[in-house]
Amino acid sequence: MVEAVVSSREEFSSSLAGHKAPPANVNAAQWRNALFVAPYLFFFVTMLVFPLVWGIWLSFHKADTFGVGKFVGLANYARLFGDRIFLLSVGNTFYFVLLTVPALALLGLFLALALNRQTRTAAFFRAAYFSSSVLSVTIVTLIWRIVFVPDFGFLATVYGWFDTKAPAFLSDPNLAMIGIAIATIWWCLGLPMMLFLSALQQVPAEIYEAAALDNANRWQTFRSITLPSIKRTFILVVLIQVVLQFQLFGQARLMTQGGPNNASKPIVLYIYDVAFKRWDLGLGAAASEILFILILIAAMAQYFLTRNRGEN
Amino acid sequence: MTRHFRLWIMAATSVAALASASPVFAQDVTEITVQRFFGACDADFGTNTDVTKAVGECGIITSLINKFNADNADIKATVTTVEWPGYDQLTAQFAAGDPPDVVTIHESVLSDYQSKDLLLPLDELLASVGVSADGFTEAGRNGVTKDGKIYGLPIDSWTMLYHINLDLFKQADLLNGDGTPKLPTSVDELMAQAEQFKQKTGKPYFVQNLANETALYTRNLYTYLFQQDSDFFASPTKVKLNTPEAKAVVEMYKKIFDNGYTTKDMDYSAAIQAFLAGEGGVQLNGTWVIGDYTASAETAGTELNKGGYAVNPYPQLFSGKKAQYADGHTWAVSAKDDRTPEQTAAIGKFLKFFAENDFDWSRTGHLPAQKAVLDSAEFKALPHRDTVAPIAALGTPLPSSVQRQFAIQDIVGEEMGAAITGQKEIDAALADAESRINELLANL
Repeated sequence: MVEAVVSSREEFSSSLAGHKAPPANVNAAQWRNALFVAPYLFFFVTMLVFPLVWGIWLSFHKADTFGVGKFVGLANYARLFGDRIFLLSVGNTFYFVLLTVPALALLGLFLALALNRQTRTAAFFRAAYFSSSVLSVTIVTLIWRIVFVPDFGFLATVYGWFDTKAPAFLSDPNLAMIGIAIATIWWCLGLPMMLFLSALQQVPAEIYEAAALDNANRWQTFRSITLPSIKRTFILVVLIQVVLQFQLFGQARLMTQGGPNNASKPIVLYIYDVAFKRWDLGLGAAASEILFILILIAAMAQYFLTRNRGEN
Repeated sequence: MTRHFRLWIMAATSVAALASASPVFAQDVTEITVQRFFGACDADFGTNTDVTKAVGECGIITSLINKFNADNADIKATVTTVEWPGYDQLTAQFAAGDPPDVVTIHESVLSDYQSKDLLLPLDELLASVGVSADGFTEAGRNGVTKDGKIYGLPIDSWTMLYHINLDLFKQADLLNGDGTPKLPTSVDELMAQAEQFKQKTGKPYFVQNLANETALYTRNLYTYLFQQDSDFFASPTKVKLNTPEAKAVVEMYKKIFDNGYTTKDMDYSAAIQAFLAGEGGVQLNGTWVIGDYTASAETAGTELNKGGYAVNPYPQLFSGKKAQYADGHTWAVSAKDDRTPEQTAAIGKFLKFFAENDFDWSRTGHLPAQKAVLDSAEFKALPHRDTVAPIAALGTPLPSSVQRQFAIQDIVGEEMGAAITGQKEIDAALADAESRINELLANL
């Protein structure tokens, strides 16, 4: 039987050889292979690489919205680092990342653990907690404005029942960023929860059965089985959120307009104000490059952390 | 026969469909794009063409444009409504080469766009439709004239005012014998009256939107700097704010804040709600709410209906010239190369329509920009115009050569807010405001 198959293959090969030359190495580099990536490459270059290079070029020029002026070297960067509002916005952005990312990771994990079961109630709550993620930033900030607005807001009403004054989340410089963080956590919690849920559902049930046979308690099971199993997802969630929250804009723009006195102004809002309100495009481009570097560092951290994990 | 009839019907239908889709018909209607702020109210006025039935800025401008479209079957003014003030969007539109044909622009902002040759000088266009700049009020004409040319059709002059709850003023014993409100004539008198108001009503004298706000702080500062004869913009590219005059104004507002003579933590809409709910005696707001507040005062059961509503210019608190900060709204026309003569003519008709209907617009509470309307008995008969009429003479804008006035407003407001609410020392805030504005103006 085997001989018959081998013999028929040889006949087939020789018949092919009789008609045309043997095929070239399909792995050999050929220019036409680039056609496969050309559509993506076109958009990548025009929509990402070109604007990036253009932005860097602009940051070295005195430019407004309607034209590029003279080359000014690093003057825009010097102005930027001499501008206390910019430095404040960098600090605000880090503070916001610190407020939101751990909370999103831990709350997302907690919810995923609580809702990782096949019941209707769990399915309902999974949908409920994820539902806020589908809202636009405009709706989210409108909802939280109704909660926070003094005298007439939901919070003011609740505090009013106890004859106390609600904290001024929209106008107190110490609370403004916290108010934005609360709205953001409420808005963004769905994605981390879903990522953790999918990771939890990939942990083999046999390991938990083995742990149960070993009389491991819940905490031991969580610490020794669950956490190590979802560690990569945890890192992924943290880094996705770091990159996302660094780009805070809409919530701050719509809830506090970066105030009071720039206490809740993030870098992107600073860039927006400088480029579109002051028409100082060169300075805005320079600030954008700083933000790009900060996000690049976060993205590289993700790359190295996950790569090391893979090698281990 | 039936077959022939069916064929005839089908052929006729096809011809009709082709004809209606042909450019011959499309050319009959000239489309112009109009972009405006003043809010959206399509649910109430989306189809209203009876302007007399409309109230408020949004209602009146929506109805006016509806009426223009209804009166001019050959023109279609397509409206885009933007969030106030809409300049970020407009700047981006200009940069992208796709600005609207006609757009609302404050007089204080015209210079930004005019200096970049983005606006069309309107002298010829207005003359072609019989609108003369001689008919504009002095404030309106000055506001739209740049380098000797007209760059906008002024539609109003506006300023900030004292909107007063007379019921609370009565409770505070702050009414004159004729029922008009007693207003202060000095800073000390203002503090004494505010204290008296607080003692007698248990409520703050002022309802102010101090949260997420920059415009109110800035307009207040400008007004009281004018009243002290401070020439803080002697040069259009350099401001002087670290001065005793500015300090006096900020100290006054800080004292009002510290002594609880004002509402705190409210944004703009919350402040309006609070005033309508009788939460304080005086709301600092613009001419544009006179119509709405008058309507509220005439509605039984409202807080303003209890004792009435009055509106006055800011009181003269300092010994300098009688003045208060003012600005105006205009319709400006973008400079476009690809505009057809028909579109230009349609824009001319649009501007003429607004010039001719300035009275309707003045029902919002703004002062009209047409002298004839300002002097008319019809305008003078509108509620409260007798008390606000003096702002035609009091109204003082910043020098029109000062650019980026809205960005400057943000800086002044941020620093002044920080000083008033105690986040910063007054001297430091004024010094920072001055240096930040000068840095901005040095890099235009």
